[in-house]
Amino acid sequence: MTQTPMLDGIKVLDFTHIVAGPHATRLMAEHGAEVIKVEPLTGDPARGLPFHKDGRSGCFVQHNIGKKNLCLDLSTQEGKNICYELVKQADVVIENFAPGVMQRLKLDWETLRKLNPELIMCSISCFGQTGPLSDLPGYDFIGQSYAGLLDMNGEPGGSPIFADLAFGDVSTGTHAYAAIISALFHKFRGGGGQYIDISLVDVLFSYHEMGVEVFDGSKGGMALTRSGTQHPLLSPFGVFRCNDKYIFLIANRDQWLRLVKLIDRPDMLEDPRYTDIMSRGENREEVNAAIQTWLDNIGDADEAVRLLQEHHVPSAPILSIPEVIEHPHMKARGTVRTVSDPVFGQLKIPNNPLRFSQFPEPLDLQAGFLGQCNHEILSEKLHYSDHQITELEKNGVIGSKNI
Amino acid sequence: MPPTHILNGIKVIDFSHYVAGPHCTRLLAQHGAEVIKIERLSGDPTRKLPVQKGGTSGCFVQHNLGKKSLSLDLEKPEAQGICHDLIKNADIVVENFTPGTMKRLNMDWETLQAINPKLIMCSVSCMGQTGPLATYPCFDYIGQAYSGIMGMTGDEGGFPALSGMAFGEISTGAHAYGAIVSALFHKLHGGGGQYLDISLLDCLFSYHAMNVQVYDASNGEMNPLRSGHQHPFIAPLAIYQCKGAYLIIIALGKQWTNLVKLIDREDMLDDPRFADPVSRNVNRAELTEAIEFWLDGFDDVDAALRSLGENHVPAAPVLSVSEVMSHPHMIERGIVQTITNKHFGDLKIPASPYRYSLFPEPLELEAGLLGEHNHEVLSEQLAYTTEQIQILEDSGVCSIKP
Repeated sequence: MTQTPMLDGIKVLDFTHIVAGPHATRLMAEHGAEVIKVEPLTGDPARGLPFHKDGRSGCFVQHNIGKKNLCLDLSTQEGKNICYELVKQADVVIENFAPGVMQRLKLDWETLRKLNPELIMCSISCFGQTGPLSDLPGYDFIGQSYAGLLDMNGEPGGSPIFADLAFGDVSTGTHAYAAIISALFHKFRGGGGQYIDISLVDVLFSYHEMGVEVFDGSKGGMALTRSGTQHPLLSPFGVFRCNDKYIFLIANRDQWLRLVKLIDRPDMLEDPRYTDIMSRGENREEVNAAIQTWLDNIGDADEAVRLLQEHHVPSAPILSIPEVIEHPHMKARGTVRTVSDPVFGQLKIPNNPLRFSQFPEPLDLQAGFLGQCNHEILSEKLHYSDHQITELEKNGVIGSKNI
Repeated sequence: MPPTHILNGIKVIDFSHYVAGPHCTRLLAQHGAEVIKIERLSGDPTRKLPVQKGGTSGCFVQHNLGKKSLSLDLEKPEAQGICHDLIKNADIVVENFTPGTMKRLNMDWETLQAINPKLIMCSVSCMGQTGPLATYPCFDYIGQAYSGIMGMTGDEGGFPALSGMAFGEISTGAHAYGAIVSALFHKLHGGGGQYLDISLLDCLFSYHAMNVQVYDASNGEMNPLRSGHQHPFIAPLAIYQCKGAYLIIIALGKQWTNLVKLIDREDMLDDPRFADPVSRNVNRAELTEAIEFWLDGFDDVDAALRSLGENHVPAAPVLSVSEVMSHPHMIERGIVQTITNKHFGDLKIPASPYRYSLFPEPLELEAGLLGEHNHEVLSEQLAYTTEQIQILEDSGVCSIKP
């Protein structure tokens, strides 16, 4: 018998778009919540992002599986009224507009909590709901700049660079998910509803595992910044080239002993310049040269990583996206998930990284077309008649499109 | 009496070390759970990381707020017995050893589940508990390399670059926290205990907001590759220079119109080469030139940023950590938290990004010394006598008082 999923019976009204908010509600849908995604007549702008097939966006599909799609003109009173009725039935409302938009739409926390005092509402934004930057338009990489992350990537003295993926959006979505479940736990223990303010900048800044305390604790004496392909303080710790490919390796304590044996440089063990990972950092040129000589002799990155891993030296090939997708480990773990879609047929996306022993199989979820569930939601949840729904369509309050 | 925070009354036994696991249990502590951190006699290795002051590590303090420290030699059966006794009354066990270690210590899921059928156990690892790479020695950056993130960072055709921070560890800790509260919620509704397998690799791979589906749906025609300070598909989404300082500018949708008006290049609106973000990227050399020409007209980057902000074009200065810490927005929001540690003194660390209207103030939490709570935990939770504790100390099962 299939287990009832963890969030079975939890109702979510989802006003989010692009990535951060939709990732949070995707996780809720993956865990069994009923998510009604409310989109404007023009649709979530993510529907405009690549890859497109017959007008359908793969990006939209990835972040919106398992949601019911309601397409409404929120500027009309009828559109708002539909939302109010749905809020009364909901456990959670989530949105990621720029701060102030929900108030303008009369869908802000003060308004909604009166309709439903047990409601949990979560707002996701780039800078948070308060503070001097809160009104600025933001995206993932803007948040990465303000949180001091971009400054940490690139060659010393050169231009900062960025990782070409919106890890801030996705992981902020996960934080929002975790905050919402925490609040649900609290609500079901009798704690009532509440409002949650999640921001990209807050989340990204929390990723400084050392940069903040090191700067503060050293009274500014240690200020970490970008250091290219190598760690600023420690060695060996960085990216190396082997023939036409790149690998990453790090060797601390016993791993260093095994590494020098492997690269046939036992003399380095006796040398006081290489006793620990910090002193090796001061002499990284010689350390890196010794490793590079060995790599050049091997001449094959896969073989080099195999030998390093055999000797328990932490190391990895630097994989491209197709290489990750095809890697046997990812296949064994199902890190890549194939979802079915009415337009794409099959589409590969990253799997939900939260793995539960009671729910080993992901739910079979699809992403909907714009406004696909208008009729179902209005008739089943709010008991609108067919005639009323047709009127709403005629007046442009609701709409739908197979994209 | 109302609960002090959401997880009041929840008991956690924490075998984690370094960053990923400890960040998860720090979040549990910050949400009000009681966390007993079990450390080896030599302590969590982060106790040796910089900055050191008063014999205490700032790095350790950051990731271990609000936990009680119990220091045990887990190789000894007596220590394992103490853990089993504590786990009988626990809701959650968290660990982040290399897969296989907990089994060797008689602390694996099968064993613990038999001791406490309602237990939620969460293992945090680099590669996960299964698959051919599971037991390889690992680290944040190893996960970044295997997940394709490092491959997406660096100049086009050049060396991949290291992100200067181990963002995988912390964000994986936050994922583990999310999984644990989900399982707690499930248990609250009568769902019983379960085992959670959280890996850095899975989390990091999920951060590819577009790359995976783009590669797959285009049948490999669009192969995402690192592209330095420019986005591989979309323009303008890039880092620019202005009077020696760096800033990032992103303009999509209406923001594109705002930008070209602002830089006085409305001719681009009608130019088919700049019709959408993808074609703008194909012709980005000319676009970059136009933006940099406009930036040159400013005395400094702040003036340029003000102008961009006023015209609703998303832009940001590339701030260093110290600049973030002193920024008025961050100060107003309390993004930096100053904690007081009786050995270290005051220390600034990133605040919890979880903000609840019912709990506007963070709990006041401290990080313990190694074995600081041995006596308290053993006597209060397991009713050991002072003599019994003395014997454990004498035989090296638990560390002596700090």
